[in-house]
This record gives sequence, C-alpha cells and structure tokens, in this order.
Amino acid sequence: MTGLHRGSSDVRTLSEPVQLSIPVQSDLILLARLTAATVASRAGFDVEQIDDLRLAVDELCVLVACGSSSGRFNLTFATNGDAVEVICALDVSEEDGASTDDHGERELSVRILDALVDEHGEEYDDKRQRGWLRKRKVRHEAL
Amino acid sequence: MTPSLRDPQQVRRSFMEYADSGDAPLRNQLVEEHLGLAHQLARRFTNRGEPYEDLVQVASMSLVKSVDRFEPDRGVEFSTFATRTIIGELKRHFRDKGWAIRAPRRIQELYLAVRPAIETLTQELGRPPTVVEIADSVGATEESVLESLEAGQRYRTASIDAPDRQHGSIAVRLGQVDAGFAGTDDFMVLALSMADLPEREQNIIKLRFVDGLTQSEIAAQVGLSQMHVSRLLATSLAHLRAAFTEDS
Repeated sequence: MTGLHRGSSDVRTLSEPVQLSIPVQSDLILLARLTAATVASRAGFDVEQIDDLRLAVDELCVLVACGSSSGRFNLTFATNGDAVEVICALDVSEEDGASTDDHGERELSVRILDALVDEHGEEYDDKRQRGWLRKRKVRHEAL
Repeated sequence: MTPSLRDPQQVRRSFMEYADSGDAPLRNQLVEEHLGLAHQLARRFTNRGEPYEDLVQVASMSLVKSVDRFEPDRGVEFSTFATRTIIGELKRHFRDKGWAIRAPRRIQELYLAVRPAIETLTQELGRPPTVVEIADSVGATEESVLESLEAGQRYRTASIDAPDRQHGSIAVRLGQVDAGFAGTDDFMVLALSMADLPEREQNIIKLRFVDGLTQSEIAAQVGLSQMHVSRLLATSLAHLRAAFTEDS
C-alpha cells in the first residue's frame, strides 16, 4: 500500500487512493475488509467505527456482486477530509450477467448500509456494477 | 423482504402511540411485526461458528430493546434504528463469546489480550479506542491488532457463495479459511491445497469445520460410515498440513 503519510494527531491520510483487485470470492473479501480497516485506522477511526466499516465493505461487495460468481472486484479506498470512501466496481460479461431479481437480499444490504455508513449509492448497467460508500469519523468529546 | 407489513408512517404512528400509552399488547405487536428483520440480520452472521438459533435469540432480544428505546420523534425510521442496534449487539456477541475457532496461536493470544484492552481503554477514555491506542496498550503492532480483530469477528461473507460453475460452491472449495484467518500467505496456501482435494473431501472438511457437524452426522449426510469419514478427514488434514510444511 503506497501513498500514506503521517499527519497530525496520529492521523495518516492517503495522499492518493489505494486500489485493490480481487476475484469475486467470498473468502477473498477479507482483503477488502483488511484494507478498509487499515485505511480507517490510519485515519484515526476508533475500533467500533472500523468494525462498522468492515461490515459495510462486506455488504457493499455483496450488493455489487448481485449474484455474480465470476469476474473481479475493483476496489478503491480513499480518505476525503475526515471520511473514508470505498468504491467497488465489477465488470460483468453477458454470460455471467448480474441477477437483480433478489430484491429481498438487496433491500437487506441497503438497510444494513444505511445503518453503518453516512452515505452510499449503487449504479448498474449492462457492463458494470458499481457501489460506493462514505463513512465519516465520529469526533468524541474530550473528557 | 418484509420486516414490517405496514408503511413507515403507520409504524411511526404506532410507536408514538406506544410512547404515550406504554401499552403492552401494542409493544408485542411492534416486536412481532419486526421479527423478520431480526431473523434476516441474524442470518447475515451465520457460518461463523455460532448456531443460527442463538443468533436469532440475540437479535430478537436486541429488537425488543430497540422497540423500548426508539424515539419516533427523532426523525429516523425504526427499521434503521433497529438495524443499527441489532448489528451492534451481534458484533458484541461475537466479540464477547471468546475464542472458538482455529487460528494461529499468536493471533489467538493477541486477540485474548486485545479484547479486554478495548474494554479497559473504553472505560478510561470514555470512548472506543483507536487501533493505535490498543496496539500501544498490548505492545503489538497496529497491523497485528487489525489482523486479530478481523479474526475475532469470524467473518464469512455467505451471500456471494453462489455455486462456482467449475468447482461447486466457493465455501466448499476454500473451507473455513476465512473464519480461521491465518494471515494472507497461510490463507493462499490453504486455499490452493483445498482446491487439490476431491470434491467429496472438500465437502467433508466444510461439514466438519465450517458447519460444525460431528463425524457421525457427516457420515449420515454423505452416506459413509463414521470410520470412513474419520479416515477421509485424517487424510485430508494430512494433505493440508503437508502443504503448509512444504510452503514453510
């Protein structure tokens, strides 16, 4: 991971985004979770927020996969002010087109993302599925 | 998914009525109407070594708390509030449950130190600690703490475990690697070694270590004797162990 620099108060923001490309396999999503957790930790997020972000990244990948079991997730992790942003894109071929039929699962994913992050969105077309999320750092009052 | 059969406005009105009256039958009705949400969220946390029924119980108890604590005039939908509360409770359940998975000793030991450190630091600081603060407290690196926290939550993304066209489900191919997160290198070695095993052996390993079935239960499911299952497990594990030895 490159592009990290240490700022003030133990906050190390990203000077440029981190990109990760992984096959669509549930077992490999741990790499996305670990990357998100590392970026969030460097941005000064606390453990609860990092836990939320891990879950949210999981859910974002589920949402973007839309039932696809091949292809690659192309993930981008960035810091923007006091927020961590994650973009997940998946190129889809005709023979492995996404299934957007499972509205129940999608609705649950959206509901979970609503609860875990500040903003998120998804877009789909014939060739690409893409989702993004933004989670801002909670500022705690000093004791 | 239909967590509540009524529209959000109706739900909000019911909660306002409950806030005013404290009516027990209305409370029960609100809980019952949202039980579907508790079940669905519990399902998201399955395959991490905890029985689904236990997770439903945790989620349902949290739902009851959510109904009692929800303030309808805050402008947030109940389902959003309840989702946040239930997920928080499920995360705590896994964190507090102790160590029940196979992971490298250093990760187990570190997690056992990290867990109480989080509690202590939260008390001391009056907020959840950062990873740097935990690392300083337990004398470990930030990366190790992140790794132990990942393993501690026993993640398993079940929802994209659609059957792989060539090899059967990904979960079957890769067994419980994710749950027992053992570092990326170990993970890759194990993943490749699992792929070398015949499909039947992969399935037996999954049933034993992912689904937690006993050898007798597996025997009944796959139509073999318990002794045969035992032998296949021993052979398969020896194969995986050998892969690690070769790698190191």
